[in-house]
Amino acid sequence: MTSSGPVKEMASVSSTNAESARDAARRPHRPARKAWRLHYSRRIQLWGVSFVLPTLLFFAVFKYGPMVWAVELSFTSYDMVSSPRGIGLENFESLAADPIFRQSLFNTIVYIAGSTALITLVGLALALAISTAVPGARYCMSAMFLTNLMPILAVCLVWRFLLHPYGLVNQLLAPFGVDRVDWLTDSATAMPAIIFVTVWRFAPYFMVVFLAGLLAIPDDYYEAAQLDGANAGRRFWHVTLPLLAPMIFFVIVVSALLSARIFLMPYIITGGGPGNATRVLSMLIYETGFSYMKMGRAAAISVVLFTIMMVFTFLQMRIFMNREQV
Amino acid sequence: MARGKAHAAYRIWAHSRRWLGLMALLALTVGFVFPILWMVTTSFQAGEKMFQLTTEWIPSVLHPENYPNAWSRANFTQYFINSAIVSIAVMAGNIVFCTLAGYGLAKFRFPGDRFVLLAILSTLMLPLEVTLVPTFLVIHQFGWMNTYQGIIGPLLIDAFGVFLMRQSILSIPTDYIEAARIDGAGELRILLQIIVPQCLPALAVLAIFSFRDSWDQFLWPLTVVSLDQYRTYNLGLVQFGEDYGNPPTEQMAIAVLATIPVFVLFWVLQRLVNKGFGLSGLK
Amino acid sequence: MTNKSTSRNSRKVTRRTLVQGMGAAGLGATMGAPFAGRAFGQAKAPVKLAFWTFENPQQRPWIHKRVKLYMEQNPHVTVDFQWFPFGDLGKKISVGFATGTAPEGFVSQDWFMPTWMDKGLLAPLDVQRLGYPTYDAFTNDFAAAFVKGATQDGKVYGYPLWFYGFCNYLNTKQFKEVGLDPDKDWPKDWNQFGEVAKKLTIRDGNKFTRQGFKFAMHAAQWTMIQFNPILITHGGQWFDASGKCTINNAAGVKAMTARASLARQYGAEDPADSIATNPLPQMDWLKERCSMFWCHPIPLGAIKSQNEKMLAERYFKPVQYPGVEPGKGISTTYGFNLVVNARAPKDKQEALQDLYKFIMSDLIDCWKDTAPFSLARKSGWADNPAVKEFPDVAEIIKAKDQGVFLPRSVVYTELADAVHRGVQKIMLTNADIKTTLDEVAAEVDRASANYKKG
Repeated sequence: MTSSGPVKEMASVSSTNAESARDAARRPHRPARKAWRLHYSRRIQLWGVSFVLPTLLFFAVFKYGPMVWAVELSFTSYDMVSSPRGIGLENFESLAADPIFRQSLFNTIVYIAGSTALITLVGLALALAISTAVPGARYCMSAMFLTNLMPILAVCLVWRFLLHPYGLVNQLLAPFGVDRVDWLTDSATAMPAIIFVTVWRFAPYFMVVFLAGLLAIPDDYYEAAQLDGANAGRRFWHVTLPLLAPMIFFVIVVSALLSARIFLMPYIITGGGPGNATRVLSMLIYETGFSYMKMGRAAAISVVLFTIMMVFTFLQMRIFMNREQV
Repeated sequence: MARGKAHAAYRIWAHSRRWLGLMALLALTVGFVFPILWMVTTSFQAGEKMFQLTTEWIPSVLHPENYPNAWSRANFTQYFINSAIVSIAVMAGNIVFCTLAGYGLAKFRFPGDRFVLLAILSTLMLPLEVTLVPTFLVIHQFGWMNTYQGIIGPLLIDAFGVFLMRQSILSIPTDYIEAARIDGAGELRILLQIIVPQCLPALAVLAIFSFRDSWDQFLWPLTVVSLDQYRTYNLGLVQFGEDYGNPPTEQMAIAVLATIPVFVLFWVLQRLVNKGFGLSGLK
Repeated sequence: MTNKSTSRNSRKVTRRTLVQGMGAAGLGATMGAPFAGRAFGQAKAPVKLAFWTFENPQQRPWIHKRVKLYMEQNPHVTVDFQWFPFGDLGKKISVGFATGTAPEGFVSQDWFMPTWMDKGLLAPLDVQRLGYPTYDAFTNDFAAAFVKGATQDGKVYGYPLWFYGFCNYLNTKQFKEVGLDPDKDWPKDWNQFGEVAKKLTIRDGNKFTRQGFKFAMHAAQWTMIQFNPILITHGGQWFDASGKCTINNAAGVKAMTARASLARQYGAEDPADSIATNPLPQMDWLKERCSMFWCHPIPLGAIKSQNEKMLAERYFKPVQYPGVEPGKGISTTYGFNLVVNARAPKDKQEALQDLYKFIMSDLIDCWKDTAPFSLARKSGWADNPAVKEFPDVAEIIKAKDQGVFLPRSVVYTELADAVHRGVQKIMLTNADIKTTLDEVAAEVDRASANYKKG
């Protein structure tokens, strides 16, 4: 970092500086100055490239390369003991005919949609609650933020106990007349339970993001709206929401990407059960590849998951870009 | 006269609304946070009590021996050391490379820079869960199964961090940089003495989240590690729960211990993190 | 003359050469002997082995103990001893084989033998190295049906270690509480089983203070172990002769209905309560939350660590499984083989076989540490007083001798997962049995078809 680089640079830059200054003084010759600037800007460019290069190389090895390889593998049958055998579209055909894959696909989409929507709504609601500037709001915010920092495995273990038929959640709900609910073993409530835990874990992060956005809205806007006779609801709808729109878009995109890759929560809390009610694609990829040693098939599922993420992202960009333009 | 009374009434109402609001907020917070509290109280509970039909909220008898007992049942010292090595390395890697790349993308114009930005952001759609099988094969090719570099490798740089640093550095006035260049400062010196100090809040956010994300990693170590001495605490904790006869209360004890490092890091960086989120204006 | 002298010379040379030769040979012999001696006793090249097994609080430490003892007696051998949860070992070995990081030696759960052998991943063992004069001497020392899974084409691929059957473990105190006599009234057929379980159940609203009987619901492996005998006693089969899964035929449906009857018909079980809190449902039995439980032989130490009173007052007892006909119950059996990785170099394979011979050379010590897990070998332990004196050992051995194996199949993992999911659907979401079993069979057939395609 210290080395002769910058010093040498300083020297060369200052020497060329001195040179060109003398040149300029002697004859205000455009070409010399231009040459100096080009040479200089080229060097700056190279610095920029070299700053970005390590990251690009890293992604080439650990992201792009593997994704290309995944696509390649998805057309093979590969159990790692013998070399890959090309089988064309068979993996995809067999997945399409496989009810477990279809169920996992459905579960993943439901999960992404449900989590994203609820995380955004709950995050926004929490941010609004905190932004009412009640004394001590900041401590409440920090406390809630802790749920986002807690190790995700601890989150899963704790909620697995809390959601047990005899667990704390049912006990707390009992006075409200809620009879025993088998949250994690009833196929109707298993996925909602996982979505609930997801929201619990991720909403506080987005609460903070929204909060920053809310705080950035100048009070004048609200005052102006109030003068115009708008009540709190309309102020929210006509002032807050439009100004928060880019942030909302950001939150939706990011939480969709986070939900698409979820693995640990269904794996630990319900094991994908009951039956296949909470089996998501990431779990299926892991099981197909590492329990059944079918790498080609697992790669095919990966391709599907990637496609879903792409589709979701582009869809959202479509929807929100348009609205922004309007 | 009536006005005075109305005014007083209004003041009382406004005041109590304040306190009601605080009560509501507190209730919401407690409702949110109670699982964390439950985790802590359960870690001091007797193992027997876990199997009863009604939960004993506050343990009648504290059992701090759950902690040393749990620790001794498996090789947790090694597991936590492994996790620490991985998480610190990933945090450092992110800090260094995301800052470099973020700076390069924010303040430098070179042919294809838009494309590079898009390319890097698009890796957000290529998480480990999607690239699991080929990444595993790549690590296997490198001979990095059951090694620290094997676990750290794919986690080292996160596109989100690049995005974060880029946004943060964008807001640094380019004039500073230009001026420094004219003064003859080298690029690295500019980076270290001008850029970095100005984006400390973003760096704090990057540090805490990259640490937390690698501290949370489960699927990747599960795939790459089969030997006990390289297990991260996550793998150890899950196996702990699967081994015969380990009480869930002890599992909670380890979970509490695992939570502490992340909380401590957050507490240390808190002010910076708040600034990083743009929340310094919050009361 | 020259000839004579030459010949004499040559004779002399020859004699000298001979003497020299003999001397040299003698010297070589004397010098060679210590070398030879060291080669067979001391100056051996160091051998490093990796050995993996599954976790069990009694079995794993015993194997570890024997391995450590072997290393003490054979200092040139170092063994890296690793263990994994019972349900994970197969997967770890698979991935290990795939990545070339599999251990040189490991304990193979019996139901995985077809998978390893089909792919040629196990090395044939030298029975003489293991201490048996002939192949037949080896196979005769084990139960025929069990050793069949470890042998192929006249070669031996596994050295059977443990082999045991499951029993129905009763909490005799709770039996007596509800007016039943554990010696006479233990369930001998399915009707009686349901009725007894019902009698033992104590409910509190829609919660269970005590379940009469409990099935393990937490892992595919246990689902298989517990459903296997039910299927067979009801006349069902896992696969037919062509390899098609037949779990969904009439017998299979009958079997699954019987399994579900504990909860559905007799109200004696709470399937939702067996997940999430206990990694091992035997815990529920040990903590007296259920009165009966089908389990492998339970070591006294395990009982003591969870419920000292139960051990001290001896209010537990293993009995045979209920049958479709009274007294004709069969239990499920499985076992473990010591195996060698076919890709290990020759010297490591030999070292491993020596290690295995040593491990198996003191089965009484094994019984002392791991009783009542019964051993696969016929000779060398069953007649020992330590064995004969173990409480209820007759029942335990009877279960082993009369039990039925887990199905040996190359798609065992897929089969277990499919059955496990099916059982979850049936027991937790009240799904229709026939429909669910059809799905399970279809899933297994797909897996078999995929496997054949390679």
